[in-house]
Amino acid sequence: MSPHPPWIGYAWAAAATVLCTLAGFAMTPRFDLVNVAMVYLLAVVVIALRFSLGAAIATSLASVALFDYCFVPPQGAFSVDDAQYLLTFAIMVAVAIVISGLTRNVRDQARAQAALEVEAETERIRSALLASISHDLRTPLAVMSGASSSLAEHGDQLEEAQRRELARSVYEQAREMAERVSKVLQMTRLESGGMTLSRDWVSLPELAATVLDRLSERLSGHRLMVEWPQDLPLVNVDAVLLEQVLVNLLDNAAKHTAPGTVVRLRAQVRNSDIVVSVEDFGHGIPEADVERVFAKFHRGNTAGTAGGMGLGLAIARAIVRLHKGEAWAEKMPGGGTAFRFTLPRETSPAMPAEPVEA
Amino acid sequence: MNAARGTILVVEDEPEIRRFLRSSLGAEGYRVVESATGRRGAIDAGSHKPDLAIIDLGLPDMDGVEIIRRIREWSSMPILVLSARTHERSKIEALDAGADDYVTKPFGIGELFARVRAAMRHRVRPARGGMALRLGETTVDLEARRVIRAGAEVRLTPIELKILGCLAHHLGMVVTHRTLLAEVWGPGHEGDTHYLRIYLKQLREKLEADPVRPRHLLTETGVGYRLVADD
Repeated sequence: MSPHPPWIGYAWAAAATVLCTLAGFAMTPRFDLVNVAMVYLLAVVVIALRFSLGAAIATSLASVALFDYCFVPPQGAFSVDDAQYLLTFAIMVAVAIVISGLTRNVRDQARAQAALEVEAETERIRSALLASISHDLRTPLAVMSGASSSLAEHGDQLEEAQRRELARSVYEQAREMAERVSKVLQMTRLESGGMTLSRDWVSLPELAATVLDRLSERLSGHRLMVEWPQDLPLVNVDAVLLEQVLVNLLDNAAKHTAPGTVVRLRAQVRNSDIVVSVEDFGHGIPEADVERVFAKFHRGNTAGTAGGMGLGLAIARAIVRLHKGEAWAEKMPGGGTAFRFTLPRETSPAMPAEPVEA
Repeated sequence: MNAARGTILVVEDEPEIRRFLRSSLGAEGYRVVESATGRRGAIDAGSHKPDLAIIDLGLPDMDGVEIIRRIREWSSMPILVLSARTHERSKIEALDAGADDYVTKPFGIGELFARVRAAMRHRVRPARGGMALRLGETTVDLEARRVIRAGAEVRLTPIELKILGCLAHHLGMVVTHRTLLAEVWGPGHEGDTHYLRIYLKQLREKLEADPVRPRHLLTETGVGYRLVADD
C-alpha cells in the first residue's frame, strides 16, 4: 500500500493532465500533435510510478479526452473520427498497467528486504544476548558458588582474612549480576514502549552528586572533574531514569579507560537545549565505532576484560530519546572520547521570593 | 541470642531473604519474628508487638502498602520497606501510607542496619530536642536557631531553617518531597519540587564542606531528601 490516502493520487492525476494541457497549448504552434501526446504519456508514466493503478488509468482517460478536445481538429469538440483515439487510450492504459506493476514489484522487494534485515537484526540481538548471558552471568555464578561453597564447607579451616575475601567476592559478583539483570529488564521495558516518564523539576548537579556517590568505588581510581555552568537551569525529566543515564555513561568511562586518567562531567547551556557530557582521556575509540557505540550489545575491544553486555549506552540513548533529546559519541581532540546527550531547555515555574532576612 | 536491642518483625515471602535477615539481624542482637505472608504479618504485628517491622513490598498475597495501612490504624511502630530499584512510585506510596523508610534491593547489610538504627532512634527520641547536630565542621542547634560553621555563624533564612528542622525531625530517615513541601510551604504546594531543588542547593552551599559531593544533605532520587548527621 502506498503511504498516502488514495485521493491524493487522483488529485495529482488531475493536476498533471491540466499541466500537460497547458504545456500542449504552448507547444502546438511549433510542434506536431504527436509530441503533445508524448507529454500526456509522460504524465501517465509519472503517476503510475508514484501512485495507484487507478490514478494512472484516470490520468490516461483524462489525457485522451483533453488531447482530443483541445488539440485534435476540430478543436473544442469531439468528433466521430476520434474513435481512433480509443487506441491511444488503450496504449496509455497498457503503459499505466506495466509501470504500476513494475513499481509494485520494486516496492514489494524493498519491503521483503527490510523484513529480512529486521529478522537478521533480531537474530543477531538474540544470539548476542545468549552469548552475553552465558559469559556475563555464568562467570559470576561460578565465582559465587565456588566461594560460597568454600565458606559453607571449610569455613572453619580458613583464616579470617580468607573468609572475608571469599565473602567479599560473593557480594561483589552478586551486585554486578543484579545490575546486569536489571539492565536487560530495563532495555526490554524501554523497547516495549511501555515506559511512562514521571517528570519532575530536577537539578543536574544534585542528581549527579547521588550518581557520583553510588559510583564512588568504581570511579575511585580515576581523577574526576565536575564542571557546572553558573546559569544551569533545572530540567524537567524523569529523575530516576536520568540518573540511570549518568550512571551508565560514567560507568562506561570508568570501565574503558585506564585508572589515573581524568573523567570529566560537565554541562553546557545552549539556545534550546542543554548538552551534558562525560569526557574521558583514554585511548579513544576507532573512527568506525564512534557511530556504533550506542548500539545494543556493542562492546569496545576491551569488553572481554571489562565485562558488561554492551547495554549501558543503548539504555542511556533510549532514555535520552524518551526525553526528546539525542545522545552521541565524538572523538576528543588529542585522544579520548566524549559521550554527550542533550535535554530540552525549559523554564521552570516561578518561585515566590522569600523576604530577605533582617 | 538475647533480645536486648529489640524485636524485629520481618514480613517477606522469599525464604532465602528471610534466612539472611534472620541471621544478620540476630547477629546484631535483635530478636527476629518471621512472617511468610502479608496476612500472617498483619496478625504477627499485633500479637508480637515488635519494636520495628521490615515489610517487603512485593508480597504475593497482599499489597505491602495495605499491611502498612492496617498496622498504622493502631500502632506507630517504625516500619521499613524493602523494594526494588526503579519502583519509586511504590516506595512513595508506602511512605505516604506511613512507612518510615525504605531499603532498595539488592542491599548491603550495612545500609539496612543504618536504616534500622535511625528508625529505632526516632521512636525513642523523636524530636531530638535541644540536641545539636554535627554535620562535619558545621553544628546546627535548631532550638536556638543557630548554625556555626568552622567557628563562624551561618545565617539561614526562615524557610531554610524550616526545611532543616523537618529533615532533622526525621534524622537519618528519608522525607518525601510531598511531606517537605506541605510542612514548609503548606498545602497546595505538594507538586512544587523545584522549590526544594533551589533551597537544598542553598542549604548545601551554606552547610556542606563540598556542596558538589554532599555528605549530610542527601538526595533520594525521585523520592525525597535525607539528613545524615555525624554520630
